[in-house]
Amino acid sequence: MKDVLTSFAGWGVNVAIALTALRTNLMRSILTTLGVMIGVFSVILAVAVGNGAQVSVSQQIATLGSNMAIVVPQPDSGSGPPRPSDRGRLTERDGQAILREVSGVSAVAPQIRSSVQIVTPGRSATTQATGATPEYGIVSNITASEGRFLTQSDIGSAARVAVIGETVANKLFPETSPVGETIRINRVPFTVIGLLESKGSNLGNDNDDQIVVPITTLRQRLLTTATQGPDDVTLIFVGFEDEDSLLSGQKEIERLLRDRYRVAKGKINPFTVRTTTEIAETTGEVTQIFQAVLVAIASISLLVGGIGIMNIMLVSVTERTREIGLRMALGAKRSDIRNQFLVEAAVLCVIGGAIGLSLAILAASIFERVAEFPAPIGLDTAIMAVAFSAVIGLVFGGYPAIRASRLSPIEALRSE
Amino acid sequence: MTTPLLETHNLVKDYAIGGEIVHAVNNVSLSISRGEFVAIMGASGSGKSTFMNMIGCLDIPTSGTLLLDGIDTKTLDSDALAEIRNRKIGFVFQQFNLLARTSALDNVAVPLIYAGIGYAERRRRAQDRLEAMGLANRLQNTPAKLSGGQQQRVAIARALVTDPLMLLADEPTGALDTQTSLDIMGIFQKLNDDGITVVLVTHEPDIAEYAARRIVFRDGQVIEDAAVKSRRRASAA
Repeated sequence: MKDVLTSFAGWGVNVAIALTALRTNLMRSILTTLGVMIGVFSVILAVAVGNGAQVSVSQQIATLGSNMAIVVPQPDSGSGPPRPSDRGRLTERDGQAILREVSGVSAVAPQIRSSVQIVTPGRSATTQATGATPEYGIVSNITASEGRFLTQSDIGSAARVAVIGETVANKLFPETSPVGETIRINRVPFTVIGLLESKGSNLGNDNDDQIVVPITTLRQRLLTTATQGPDDVTLIFVGFEDEDSLLSGQKEIERLLRDRYRVAKGKINPFTVRTTTEIAETTGEVTQIFQAVLVAIASISLLVGGIGIMNIMLVSVTERTREIGLRMALGAKRSDIRNQFLVEAAVLCVIGGAIGLSLAILAASIFERVAEFPAPIGLDTAIMAVAFSAVIGLVFGGYPAIRASRLSPIEALRSE
Repeated sequence: MTTPLLETHNLVKDYAIGGEIVHAVNNVSLSISRGEFVAIMGASGSGKSTFMNMIGCLDIPTSGTLLLDGIDTKTLDSDALAEIRNRKIGFVFQQFNLLARTSALDNVAVPLIYAGIGYAERRRRAQDRLEAMGLANRLQNTPAKLSGGQQQRVAIARALVTDPLMLLADEPTGALDTQTSLDIMGIFQKLNDDGITVVLVTHEPDIAEYAARRIVFRDGQVIEDAAVKSRRRASAA
């Protein structure tokens, strides 16, 4: 018990000695701390941005809709010159077949996607138009926050109506509500019937920069290039009742489409079927790699900061060789000297770490506000920052401290 | 008969300088009893400082035996030697060796840190020692604000703060003027009168005359070891 108290007292003394020594060379101490500060700052910020990217990605996956498969035609990328029959095709009838024959399917949403130019008196915008059916709203979880979404009768009558995203609305109608207004899409007049509920943006991808029109209208009025068949689509969203039917459904869709397109055995599919689960997994992996790269780069600056600490501690040991000799003469053990310099390095690192962490928290909140990108710094990140700084202190302060403790008392005392 | 405070048998310290071995201390056997006041003299390079470093446990003998308070120092590791320096020996240096930017009080308290004494007790003991040195009104002064004589008195207070058996003073008056030197010698004499053993290294013959016994070194060996005739007294300042 007495030993513990004694060593406690010793540590307190060491902190006091360290603070005195650091104050003596204030400018040097500040510059050294700056290295650790920048290192901790960048590592924490990198972790926060990485976390934010993951949050953002999972939000984006959620906006896609859950338990969904996306069927996209895939041109044959095999050898030889491309032939027309190699080009992947997908039709509305394929979608109907999927709904009819694949088990567990709740809805199919065939879509045609096309870039369009929208003009109102005095303003214009270029955006992506999705020609869709009411099922698109159900499968991908999209509703109108104002006005209404597409109905079956809009499709049947190929009505010139559009539901527009918030970004488009803000560009074309900065002050008034767009609902009921007339816009010209590729010179064709359309009536705005609704405003899409905002889905925000993820990783620089603005989900609100789009419009939705009836698939029939888009095909008849807006397509500038001819399609192969009268009911060709760009892609089909297939909604499933639950995750289990999604997993089995993916294979069933592939089998069904191979049959329908008479794909010979051994030839690759002229289409791809991806599920939201797969997309979540791959993007999750991508963001993890993204985060790892960020943290790795940031760690380099922490390493440099640590080397700075070691450099200054070596200088400090050399400058104070005589003091070390004196302390040894007065009864300091090797461990006392070692601890004194370890504490000094640790104090430098902890101060740098604390300032770096505070700056990272500040930067993250500015980042969130200005870039509208989440950069969460959790308690775990904060603890990691403190632990990181301590480890840096021990690792890079360790060598100079041990060197100091190995000095011979008489040689240290004799040094000038 | 009580054991001598310090006993050396055939003590040798060799240095290798430029491939040549120099016997800095060559086969020295002597003994110092409790309560003695010894002056170790000799020209520079005579081995007196090397001898003092060894009896102060700062330097390790090449061969021979050094018994300190009956303990054979050969058997001790660096931690045990540190403890002996802390508990049994008080050092006073020519250049005072006080920590800069540190108050007199904190300077005197340093050895107590390594003795594991708590903060309040450290301050109390350090203050007592400084007051005994006549520095009651200088407790918070840093060395830069003290005269040479005051600094040396702080250093003596520091040497005494762990109640050591022996004061080892290496040229303690070397950086002081004549009057201040006299004051410091007075302090040593008074401390010696109170029972503490004092070993003083000096090259000044008149300073050595304040000691009771004089040991003279030349070429690493003792060439004279005798009581000081007509010992001088200085009144403590």
